[in-house]
Amino acid sequence: MAEELEGLASFRERARAFIKATLPKLGSTGELPMAEHKALQAAIFDAGFAGIAFPKEYGGAGLTLEHQQVWAEEVEGHVVPTGLYVSIGMLGPTLLDHGSEELKRRHLPRILRGDEVWIQLLSEPSGGSDMAGVMTRATRDGDTWVINGAKMWSTGAGSADYGMCLARTDWEQPKHQGLSMFAVPLKAPKVTIEPIVGIDGGRAHFFQEYFDDVVIPAENLIGEENQGWSVAHTLLFHERNATAGVGHGLGLGGGRGGGESEGGTGVEDLKRYAAKAGTLQDAASRRLIAEAYVAEKARQHAGERVTVGMRTGAFKGDWGSLLKLGLALDTLRRGEIGVVLAGADGVIWTDDGGGDAGRAWLGARSISIAGGTNEMQRNIVSERLLGMPREPAVDRDIPFSEVVRRRGRS
Amino acid sequence: MHLELSEDQEFFRDTARRFLESEMPIATSRQLFDDPDGFDRGWWRSAAELGWTAMLASEASGGGSLSGRPVADAAIVAEELGRLVAPGPFLPVNLVIAALSGAPGHEETAAALVAGEQLAAWAFGEPGNRWEPSGFATTAEPDGDGVVLSGTKAFVEGGGVADHLLVAARTGAGLTQVLVPRDAAGVTVRPSKSIDLGRRFAEIRFDGVRLPAGAVVGEVGGAAADIERLLQLALVLQCADVTGGLDRVFEFTLEYMGDRYAFGRPISSYQALKHRVADLLLMLESGKGCVDAAVRAVDDGDDDAAVEASVAKAYIGDKCLHVIQECMQFHGGISVTWEHDIHLYLRRATVSRALYGTPEQHRERICALLGF
Repeated sequence: MAEELEGLASFRERARAFIKATLPKLGSTGELPMAEHKALQAAIFDAGFAGIAFPKEYGGAGLTLEHQQVWAEEVEGHVVPTGLYVSIGMLGPTLLDHGSEELKRRHLPRILRGDEVWIQLLSEPSGGSDMAGVMTRATRDGDTWVINGAKMWSTGAGSADYGMCLARTDWEQPKHQGLSMFAVPLKAPKVTIEPIVGIDGGRAHFFQEYFDDVVIPAENLIGEENQGWSVAHTLLFHERNATAGVGHGLGLGGGRGGGESEGGTGVEDLKRYAAKAGTLQDAASRRLIAEAYVAEKARQHAGERVTVGMRTGAFKGDWGSLLKLGLALDTLRRGEIGVVLAGADGVIWTDDGGGDAGRAWLGARSISIAGGTNEMQRNIVSERLLGMPREPAVDRDIPFSEVVRRRGRS
Repeated sequence: MHLELSEDQEFFRDTARRFLESEMPIATSRQLFDDPDGFDRGWWRSAAELGWTAMLASEASGGGSLSGRPVADAAIVAEELGRLVAPGPFLPVNLVIAALSGAPGHEETAAALVAGEQLAAWAFGEPGNRWEPSGFATTAEPDGDGVVLSGTKAFVEGGGVADHLLVAARTGAGLTQVLVPRDAAGVTVRPSKSIDLGRRFAEIRFDGVRLPAGAVVGEVGGAAADIERLLQLALVLQCADVTGGLDRVFEFTLEYMGDRYAFGRPISSYQALKHRVADLLLMLESGKGCVDAAVRAVDDGDDDAAVEASVAKAYIGDKCLHVIQECMQFHGGISVTWEHDIHLYLRRATVSRALYGTPEQHRERICALLGF
């Protein structure tokens, strides 16, 4: 039988000592460049704290998600390599679930050490929520696949090494059945990556990629040919979990299991806005601040409940979707509360500062769309968690080539 | 609500559920709508035998918790009562038992309550939707060895049938709790009417009621912490009751939506409805999470127990009527008939929402507890 796993208490002590000695305190560094994130992750990996619930043969620590939870608790208040949260929290777990032995042995240790950064290439300019409608094409040519098409909304593509790319490999199959997943090197020739500037006008987080006869080796297929939809499903599952603060990504700064809110809309921020407006003692302001506090607590307690339910087996499957929906609704609402409390100071300011409430409010809406819209999460919750029937769809059981033809006629 | 019950707790819950399903199904509760007491005392004695009065009592009074987590045990019963909108004095009797547990001189009364032989109620709120003790008008003035109690208490759950009334009153700047025999001179009990058809409430006037020193529970003027603890207990049990009811309503609504066909398919297949159901599940699970956290904090006597109890009340009080109203809307016409049970849940929830402070009052309390 396998060796006995390290207990949580001993793990916690070891993690605490490492974190104290190695990771800077939050707020002590300013925003770090990607190279620094990678250096931090390498240190975490070398000390045996990367990929905590990944098997040892792929570079992981061979422990459990409960150890991951302990890590997340201990790492609170320290700088963590958030730049690698997509790669390690979403793509790594998907590769672990579906990759060939060769792909896993070659790439997982590099992913976990931060030496190689992976992103997802799912959405396309022609379709967001209807993800199975991808138009990117992969054509077999001897020992290679040739990729043509465009992907969009890919987080972090500007500094990534590989993309997990969903492409159509059989146009005569119904739409979900002719897809395959590939590992596409992003620094390969004929890959063009362009930034998409977000609503805040700042540094680009999202990118658009064009693939123009990009040739990749046949062994870069992830999972079976024409089974790419199930790989995409797994990827979305890990994405929602990571966003909601459960699973492998925990403690990498993605979803915050603790329920702490985005910058600019936390309870302390809201109090600050009301104080500046001179309304902190007004019943109307207090009601709004307390509403935000109660919502934050409720979201935190829902997360704790789901974590317990997943551990005991009472909850199975896509509970991350419920939490992600809650996060999106709450974020939007607290953004609104911020501008209500701040008034004009929130949206017009001088060089002396201000405008926090307005900027936070502006940014608060993207989480309702990114990582699967609220509407898609509501579909998942109602259909997969509650077993409610799907809406009839007109494009499920016909060849995808026919779907495309019909689209052209309408 | 909690997902990690011990085997003993699971057995306790199953026994409570079976007992209610056989002895107090909704058809039976409906027959009690016009009964002045709202329940049968023999039934309550049977409930006491099942342990429904034991968890918060001291061993000296014949009590004890099976899990060592008395509030969690009580929340299990509260949730089952809520699921079946069951009547009876579970909440008020247990609040008084909790107050008397460990209070010297009150062991005998507590034992009679634990045995189900006598009943009691907590007289806390006051007319005008007053739930904040510092604003209470009821006073307990020292008088020789004893006290004189004057004032009016309202919304007293189970007050009409209670043999003993535990009254929260002001003494100067402090607070005092006294246990008043219902038949003491100067006590007038007037039954109240309520939107809730199952539970019973009363308004109780105390006209210079003279009580001996032995009637005081705890210290004269020193009961603030005891009262706060009772309020927390009332809140978490109330929230467990409401979420139990929401859980049941959600369950039979989903079932109905699967069975009901319109335009050739089950109404549960329409996205316009499914998306609203998803939002309700979010509220329901968040509410259950709040109850779990508040129960844990009150059981442990945590520093943040007051905040957690008020968070649960504010969240569940805010959401419960919306959840039930949406479920009514999914049911269509049948939901606004006397015959359908859903209005019983709506009625109970709206009364619970108002009892022990409204969500609006608890949000203000949260601000104060957080220090601003």
